[in-house]
Amino acid sequence: MQTAERSVDKNKIKAEPWRDPHAEGYVRIENITKKFGDFTAVNNVSLKVYKGEIFCLLGGSGCGKSTLLRMMAGFESPTSGAIYLDGQDMADVPPYERPVNMMFQSYALFPHMTVEKNIAFGLEQEKGLSKSEIATRVTDILDIVKLREFAVRKPHQLSGGQRQRVALARALVKRPKLLLLDEPLGALDKKLREATQFELINIQEQLGVTFIVVTHDQEEAMTLATRIGVMNRGEIVQIGTPTEIYEFPQNKFVADFIGSVNMFEGTMVEDLPDHVRIKSDELGATIYVDHGISAAPGAIVYTAIRPEKINLLRAPPENQAENCAKGVVKEIAYMGDMSIYLVKIESGKTVRVTLPNVERLSDDERILWDETVWLTWHASSPVVVTQ
Amino acid sequence: MKLSAARTVASREAPGRLGPLWTFLFRYGPPRWTEYVLKNWSGQRLVIALPYLWLLVFFLVPFLIVLKISFAEFSPLGRPPYEPVFRWLEEGALQIKLLIGSYQYLLNEPLYVSSWMYSIKVAFFSTVFCLMLGYPMAYAISRSTPTYRNVFLMLIILPFWTSFLLRVYAWIGLLKNDGVINNMLMAMGFIDEPLAMMNTSFAVYIGIVYSYLPFMILPLYSNLEKHDNTLLEAASDLGAGPIKAFMRITLPLSMPGVIAGSLLVFIPAVGEYVIPSLLGRADQLMIARLLSDEFFLNRDWPKASAVAIAMLLLLVVPIMLFQHFQNKELEAQKR
Repeated sequence: MQTAERSVDKNKIKAEPWRDPHAEGYVRIENITKKFGDFTAVNNVSLKVYKGEIFCLLGGSGCGKSTLLRMMAGFESPTSGAIYLDGQDMADVPPYERPVNMMFQSYALFPHMTVEKNIAFGLEQEKGLSKSEIATRVTDILDIVKLREFAVRKPHQLSGGQRQRVALARALVKRPKLLLLDEPLGALDKKLREATQFELINIQEQLGVTFIVVTHDQEEAMTLATRIGVMNRGEIVQIGTPTEIYEFPQNKFVADFIGSVNMFEGTMVEDLPDHVRIKSDELGATIYVDHGISAAPGAIVYTAIRPEKINLLRAPPENQAENCAKGVVKEIAYMGDMSIYLVKIESGKTVRVTLPNVERLSDDERILWDETVWLTWHASSPVVVTQ
Repeated sequence: MKLSAARTVASREAPGRLGPLWTFLFRYGPPRWTEYVLKNWSGQRLVIALPYLWLLVFFLVPFLIVLKISFAEFSPLGRPPYEPVFRWLEEGALQIKLLIGSYQYLLNEPLYVSSWMYSIKVAFFSTVFCLMLGYPMAYAISRSTPTYRNVFLMLIILPFWTSFLLRVYAWIGLLKNDGVINNMLMAMGFIDEPLAMMNTSFAVYIGIVYSYLPFMILPLYSNLEKHDNTLLEAASDLGAGPIKAFMRITLPLSMPGVIAGSLLVFIPAVGEYVIPSLLGRADQLMIARLLSDEFFLNRDWPKASAVAIAMLLLLVVPIMLFQHFQNKELEAQKR
């Protein structure tokens, strides 16, 4: 029974319901605005999240993502707009009656209760649950988050990772329709964070709960999310799968915010359906892109090229005047799995290039400081945004 | 290091005629001792030693003196009015004479037992009333905006700027038969006869609750103010309504504050002297009044000392409880 359900959910995820224009959103946010005095924290946001999704709201601090989450939980009421959950308007439903649970950034575990009691707290508030039923559900969830042997500890006797799992268990044990997670992995160190990310995905697939995650950490968003909504200044600037967000940013902000990027300002000189040419003084060359974009000729456009999509050559490439720049290596940062090179090109701009350390090279084979290099990239790599 | 530098500078600039004296003082006088203490005692030990010294001189030694007197024999005509406990006999032996008569008297005399019980009762109910009044006030203050919060706290502390005695006397003016309250009620026609409020237990409760309320509010406030609001949000998120969230989260977490405040009210209320003497009944005395009467009217120092020691012992338990919970809260704060 359970496995069948699970595979159905997986198929749904695979089916990508957001591609279907008729699909009904499980969570529908319609034209939500939240103002604190003169300050607009969330500005006219509309959003649909589908059942079984892990939807990430990604943005810098103060972009309104947490406010949006708190409105879904019911801690803030929107200035205008509406939130529907499973077709029901949430406007007049107080937080303690919403079928929504939240995992707080600070975990907000009750310090005077044991792990067990913390988790049972939510169930005790539900009517018609017997004591034994509560006990079984608590032990079940403790097994899922692997905290069985810590059941009688108090929160201060747990490590950060364990506390995080208690907070997750406490939110999940209520079997909410929607789970909200506020910076769920913020307080964990890198290794633990990676492990927990996959654990979260596993748990989500096991229980089929819809997750909305708020994070400022793009790596976290990339690993967890089925879709990401990038927020800036109270607005959602792009919604898409992690790949779409990374490979096809729709505007300068998203291109800049997600990952690192080299941005060149330029003018469109040739605009054809199958390719475009952009003359960039910042690069000192013409950029040739092998796909069409929608912008008027002569318009100012920004070309974004990811550091890992640029090649470093020690000799000038043959027959290539476009997508090429000459420069001098100014900085090298060895990161183990890859190295970062900062190359100052002739126009004076510094370009960031990352190369994987595929081979172990000796010092004279390696590209060194103050070496003259040529940067090239494939015509499919640049992303052109107009705003 | 700094000290020795100061010393050389001072000795160099010392006026000619007094030169040798200055040098002597700096070399062997108080600066030298200070330097020795600072050099050889670690600062931490010094800081701890000072309060211990204070407690030793002003608490332990007086306590031992009182303890000694409580075992002495009463001699009404003596100065002081008790026989010495320790006495050197002529044959070179030390005679120690300890009488437990004063303590036996305390246990057998119904007046003492009843005033002791009355003191406990008054202190207990005053504490309960203070808690009932103080908790909502402390809660409201901790929930108000910072501006209001400071105003409220100021208002709580403000009465301390007036003499305690004056404030209790002011209550006489309010409570007596032709006092403010009775006059007002009669003028408004609620009552024809003045209510007898003075010299009743009611007046004692009013006085104690009024005087000690700040001691309840302040520790409660300092506890409640530190509460993390997200805990209440979490409780609400998990389905607990406001009342349930208060009962299950705020109240248990404020227990250290409740206990600290209660003990701060209860302990001094048991030994309260001024309020029951001024506002209370003449036929039912509280234990502190009895002690003072024994001491000043009867001049029976041993019995008065025995009362004091008994009071202390009976209050040691709540005091130790207080210490225990205070330490616990301090530890919790460190986390």
